[in-house]
Amino acid sequence: MITQEEIHDYIKSIPPSPTVLKATLRCIQEGELTKAADEAAKDPALKLFLQGIVNKPIYGFKNDIKDLRQIFGVLGLAQAEQIVYNYMISLLAPSQWELFSLSNKEFSEIQDSLSLAWKKILEYKSIKDKALYASISLLPASIIVCEALFKAKQDELQLLRSVKDIDYNTILKRLSGMDLFDLCEKIAEAWEMPEPIAQIVLASSGHTQPHDPLILELSKWMHLLFFYQLSQPVCTTAGLNDFIEFNIEYVQDIYEEFQDVVM
Amino acid sequence: MRAVVKNKIGVFNPQGFLDGTTAPSMLTLDDIQATLALNIDMLLVSLKKVVFFNKNGLNVFVTLLESLHKKSGIIVGFCDYDEKQYASIENFYSDSLNFSLFRTYKIATLFTVSMQEVKEKKSILVWHEDPSQRSALAIELFDRGHSPIVCQSLSEFSQKKSQSDLYETIVYNSYLGLLGSKVATRVSGNAIIYTLSGFLDAEISNNFDIKYHNNSLNVGFTLFIFDAYKVVSMNIHGVNFFSKLATAGAEFGANICIVGMTFEKTPVNFKDELEDAGLMFFENMDDILQDKELLKDLGGSGGASRTNKRSLTKTLVNQLPRFINATVNTMEMMTNSKAEKQDAKVQPLTVEQAEGKLASSIGFYGDIDGMLVLIFPLSIAKKSCELLLGEQTDNVEDILDTLAEFVNIIGGRVKALLSEEKVSVNITLPRTYENVKDVLSTTGERKGVQVNLNFEGESFTFFLMR
Repeated sequence: MITQEEIHDYIKSIPPSPTVLKATLRCIQEGELTKAADEAAKDPALKLFLQGIVNKPIYGFKNDIKDLRQIFGVLGLAQAEQIVYNYMISLLAPSQWELFSLSNKEFSEIQDSLSLAWKKILEYKSIKDKALYASISLLPASIIVCEALFKAKQDELQLLRSVKDIDYNTILKRLSGMDLFDLCEKIAEAWEMPEPIAQIVLASSGHTQPHDPLILELSKWMHLLFFYQLSQPVCTTAGLNDFIEFNIEYVQDIYEEFQDVVM
Repeated sequence: MRAVVKNKIGVFNPQGFLDGTTAPSMLTLDDIQATLALNIDMLLVSLKKVVFFNKNGLNVFVTLLESLHKKSGIIVGFCDYDEKQYASIENFYSDSLNFSLFRTYKIATLFTVSMQEVKEKKSILVWHEDPSQRSALAIELFDRGHSPIVCQSLSEFSQKKSQSDLYETIVYNSYLGLLGSKVATRVSGNAIIYTLSGFLDAEISNNFDIKYHNNSLNVGFTLFIFDAYKVVSMNIHGVNFFSKLATAGAEFGANICIVGMTFEKTPVNFKDELEDAGLMFFENMDDILQDKELLKDLGGSGGASRTNKRSLTKTLVNQLPRFINATVNTMEMMTNSKAEKQDAKVQPLTVEQAEGKLASSIGFYGDIDGMLVLIFPLSIAKKSCELLLGEQTDNVEDILDTLAEFVNIIGGRVKALLSEEKVSVNITLPRTYENVKDVLSTTGERKGVQVNLNFEGESFTFFLMR
């Protein structure tokens, strides 16, 4: 159904990250928000994305902000980096979704809700590392990868899934030995994202046990957060509720805390 | 959300969080209607991957399920929950528990029908605090060919539960809500046994699953036994029902037997009428099941029906490419390898080196009817199961179970391909054979189209017949 060649072709098709984005991220990582805003202003699409994002009700800013320097100032380093990464991931999104009933606006909403809930979690955990804030940005890439690989196989998938409760991620793993999260890791590599980003996302599949206790802890929160998001109407209507398998055992010990922090 | 349908049970598998906001988009009326169209007997929502639910969330499902039960009479409820979730549900619906609860999917399967024989040698331990529930669970299990052992007290249950290896399954934290009124059905060897009770009047036609019966005829069953020990009396509508069944089964060479029926409150001339229609009466079930000669004569030991003269039709042969495409594409999808067609002949099913091979079959009926038989070398069977099982296995039962799902996928694909040609068919439940000799005795001398295919050096047989 999915061959190794198709997987390799997909990995090869991941474009290098645009120069403006690289420069913007470098400035953010160096703590230079004003310079980062000036770099971002060179890319009209990124500028529009940032202006659109911060003026969404979900971010709760009282006034309409148009100036990029102001936007970066309001967001702060960690959230600015997170949003620039969200933009990078959205560049991979298809113009027309076929497998999942999504629009790019809805995909962006999913990114926003995940980012804000993740921020809440990290603040609760008193974590300051910017890379860890940005790690949530890579997670929705799994939806994009799934769409890209399976959109042409919908009939076969439908038949297979009509007789067995089997998710896309498991199908891919069984056919190719790689899963959606491995492919997210490839995206992180291609885009030179800081290492912890890929580590947490990989472990958030719920199928690997990282040695680093912090990565393990955060990957559990990310796994549960992802399923909290995938239970929301925008995702269930899109057919995303069961696109990967939820591992309840993996998150059992943090569930009550999660309820207090996120729900 | 789409349901997984197996053994006439549709199961929805929501994941994550279930509350009043999220539940309505997880399960919609359209999802339920689409599942119902697949002719199911039971519709369940699995809570296995639900980490949180509240009453508002469950209510959305319960309302949909209960209205479905009212309309179609099928069993509805929840399965795959833990102790805490069971307690919450009981608490939420203590006064109005009209739906069923099955601790596991496996327990739910005990209360429905399949084309496979109940092979468990061990008993099923049953416990519920409410004595009427205990009895209901036990009766339903018994009617479906299982051997329930009912515990009369919690202490007895705790003691017996500790020796779990003595039992096939332990049924507890389960509850039978409003049940369907369908006649209980089970498979014994190559016979189908229907359990009847009460008064056999016009209602019998509504409660009898005629589709299942026709499916059984289509996949080669020829012996049908009605267990009538619990029948009080029968009126003329009951007689008409059996007469029609006998007439419809004649084309397939089917034998219909009624066991344990007393004629104390039923006119004896009804018996004569039914015997004239070809039905046979026996006092005890063992008079048939333990008499090997008789069983063979009646077709209950897997022997081919000698009277079945159905042969291939031009219409069916015209559709052959669709059947082959569906099979080859599915095989390629499941094994991630290429198939090569070797030869195709019209002949009785012929299998060289039947030893070590497994088979599965599925019937179809509608604008065209017939049966598709697939013979797998063990290695191909194992490989085609890997995608569904997720691991290599040598357990023949697991492999056969997965082959049933596999042939179901092919059946679904054939149905879709034929409907593109405006040919409407329904598919039967799949049947599997551990021994190829059993399928050979079902197909007998009847001719069909046999296509031998090669998958990575192994020969795989496709056979399409009427």
